[in-house]
Amino acid sequence: MMRKGVEAVLLLSLLFFTSHAKATRFSPPGKPALTRCRSPEKETFTCWWEPGSDGGLPTTYALYYRKENSETVYECPDYHTAGENSCFFNKNDTSIWVNYNITVVATNALGSTFSDPVDIDVVYIVKPNPPEKVTVSVMEDKGWPFLRVSWEPPHKADTRSGWITLIYELRVKLEGEDEWEMHLAGQQKMFNIFSLRSGGTYHVQVRCKPDHGFWSEWSSTSYIKVPDYFHREKSVWILITVFSAFIFLILTWLLHMNSHSLKHCILPPVPGPKIKGFDKQLLKDGKSEDVFSALVVSDFPPTTSSNYEDLLVEYLEVYIPEEQELTLEESKDLHDSCLKSEGSTSDNDSGRGSCDSHTLLMDKGEAKEGERQTDQEESQTEAQRQQKDWDEEELTYTHEDMVSPDMSSGRVKTWPSVFSPLPQYTLSPLVQRSSLEMAKQHCLSDSMFPPSSTSSYLIQPGNSTKEALGPSHWEFSLSNKQPQLLHPKTQAHSDINISSIGHKQTPVSLQSPALRRTEYVEVQRVNEEDMVLLQPIVCGEGCPQMRQAEDYSKVRGVDSDNRLLLQREVAKEEVDMCPYEDQEADGATESCYTSSDINTNQKPPACSYTATPVQDNRTLPASGYVDTATMFTLPTY
Amino acid sequence: MNQCGVWAVLLWPYLLSVSIPLDCKEEQGSLSRCPSISQEKLLDRVIQHAELIYRVSEESCSLFEEMFVPFPLRLQRNQAGYTCITKALPIPSSKSEIQQISDKWLLHSVLMLVQSWIEPLAYLQTTLDRYDDAPEMLLNKTKWVSEKLISLEQGVVVLIKKMLDEGMLTTTYSEQGLFQYEVQPEMLESVMRDYTLLSCFKKDAHKMETFLKLLKCRQTDKYNCA
Repeated sequence: MMRKGVEAVLLLSLLFFTSHAKATRFSPPGKPALTRCRSPEKETFTCWWEPGSDGGLPTTYALYYRKENSETVYECPDYHTAGENSCFFNKNDTSIWVNYNITVVATNALGSTFSDPVDIDVVYIVKPNPPEKVTVSVMEDKGWPFLRVSWEPPHKADTRSGWITLIYELRVKLEGEDEWEMHLAGQQKMFNIFSLRSGGTYHVQVRCKPDHGFWSEWSSTSYIKVPDYFHREKSVWILITVFSAFIFLILTWLLHMNSHSLKHCILPPVPGPKIKGFDKQLLKDGKSEDVFSALVVSDFPPTTSSNYEDLLVEYLEVYIPEEQELTLEESKDLHDSCLKSEGSTSDNDSGRGSCDSHTLLMDKGEAKEGERQTDQEESQTEAQRQQKDWDEEELTYTHEDMVSPDMSSGRVKTWPSVFSPLPQYTLSPLVQRSSLEMAKQHCLSDSMFPPSSTSSYLIQPGNSTKEALGPSHWEFSLSNKQPQLLHPKTQAHSDINISSIGHKQTPVSLQSPALRRTEYVEVQRVNEEDMVLLQPIVCGEGCPQMRQAEDYSKVRGVDSDNRLLLQREVAKEEVDMCPYEDQEADGATESCYTSSDINTNQKPPACSYTATPVQDNRTLPASGYVDTATMFTLPTY
Repeated sequence: MNQCGVWAVLLWPYLLSVSIPLDCKEEQGSLSRCPSISQEKLLDRVIQHAELIYRVSEESCSLFEEMFVPFPLRLQRNQAGYTCITKALPIPSSKSEIQQISDKWLLHSVLMLVQSWIEPLAYLQTTLDRYDDAPEMLLNKTKWVSEKLISLEQGVVVLIKKMLDEGMLTTTYSEQGLFQYEVQPEMLESVMRDYTLLSCFKKDAHKMETFLKLLKCRQTDKYNCA
């Protein structure tokens, strides 16, 4: 025993020494190593080894294996089938039930070297061959193309019986790209790839793996070119885009052509100020004082007596009895002259009475009689002129008002209240009165208000402020109301207020003021409200007597020729009131007041009326023309 | 002698490694250090093997039936009009018997079946070659089955050795020559005989699979197997 052990030790030491001693030139072979063992189908397998240094001498290699739980050592049955440095185990030698213990030995003249042993379980070293017959084709699915890849398992792998179960994986990339797109296909042998780029070339590869084992190598690359396709939907969208662009261009062109009119439609031009004397530039400059000063007309408010002429407008028709006719005749010239003079300064605005105002405008200290006369004349002339003025006007409404007081045109509105009492009124009574002249009208200087087109005369009851003045103080204020209230600033309101101061009486229907007392009034002054304040003139002997016989104080109507028809009445009656209907849309109250005897210090009602051309209907058929001057009557009371 | 001694001395580290059984883990690596396959793995593989064999034999039987057997002569599933060659084998045939049998006997039964069918299948292979219009698929299948059967035998042997720690002779039963065949049978009889052979084998293959699966069930859950 000891000897054997000693021998063994000696042998070992010899081996070491010999290996060291002969290292200079030749040496035993280096240690080989088994690199890998692979089975392609789980029925055979192959092992490869890496040889070590050969030590300078020809070296042979041998592979020995031992099956599990068996001491029998077998040598490799086949060194050649699998190539250099390999050992191939065929079907008979391969068992899936046992492990293999494999060792490679390198031998040369100087010795042998064993590799490290390796245990092999055939099932776990299965690495199949790559899939075979990989085919790629382009197929179409509703206009969208896709790739269909199909393959077969490696022919050696027995997947049909289920001996090996393989799962597959494929990868795709576009030509020129670096990254592959991986797809796991499972156990199926066919796969679809969508979302292709039209016109691109694709590379496809497939590999497989058993459930326990290694992935096979990638199959050889299959190339496929996707044909160019233009998708239907895209073409439709392109058509729609082109079409809408075309329509847009047409619309733009149309807009451009009609830009001007469209501008007017969408953004109407803002009307600028049309005030005469209003300088926009001044306003923009910010000089408000200059702007407003430019508006101020130098001759307003009237400060000189010459302006008073303009304020006086005759609006009353005066009934002239025989005596008065004379005066009227006389004053006709005046009237005419006045008219003429007035005509020169008047514009189309109506309502201006005789503007021989220096005769009309009375100071307090004037002789009453003369004044009376002149007043009377003036009133008559005024009335006359007024008549003429009115004729000149286009105020058809005056006539219409006589007929139908319900006229409600813009202009007419202001008038009806004025004119409605007229049918009942005779203007003459005032004239016939001794001292009171009713027909004081004020010509408003329309020149002061150039743009005014129409003047409406509004007779309002002077119940506001006039009462402070003495009784039987007639105040006239001419209202020149312009129906178009465009420029409130320039609007001239002159109210014709014929009212008895401080007296108010209920309107009495004006029936037939047969004989009215004629009163003479003088113009006291014109107040700031464009009201002419009149003063009654004590009627002396010079007062024309009223003809008691006839009374033309009633207006019957207006005929078609714009002639006022007066009604002559014989009996002397109290002045009855002139009923009127309120024609004003705004409900301006105009009450007719009967004028009472001033002398009696009663409260003479203010008879407000507007003088209109009144014609005596009686005389009308006779002559066919009635001198309007003669027909003016004043209400008497 | 010297050489043996030298070999023994040189190989002493490897002896050591063999004698020490390493704990074998299932690894995917090619060079696994695991010395032996575990019993569970082995049983699984054997069962899979048996399943495959049964499936293929079923396919080849139906293929043969369609090709060569006229309809009225076709055998029903549970028909017992003919005798299978393995009828004489002491293998359990009813469920109650199977439940009573031990693991050892289950394995031995499987082994007996496998070993007794190796020769008849080889014979079948030769007779099918003599057919004029036997489809190639049928031939391939039968060939495959006979090969796999041999492999299965090896596996069962290893399994027996592992489970029962028995070493046994592999060709114990196959040498008994249960199968006897005539040299020149008549055509129709030949067809019927082959057909009978295939059918019987199909049934036995199913038995093998069943036994092995039962064995596996007993390994994992002893008291719940049917």
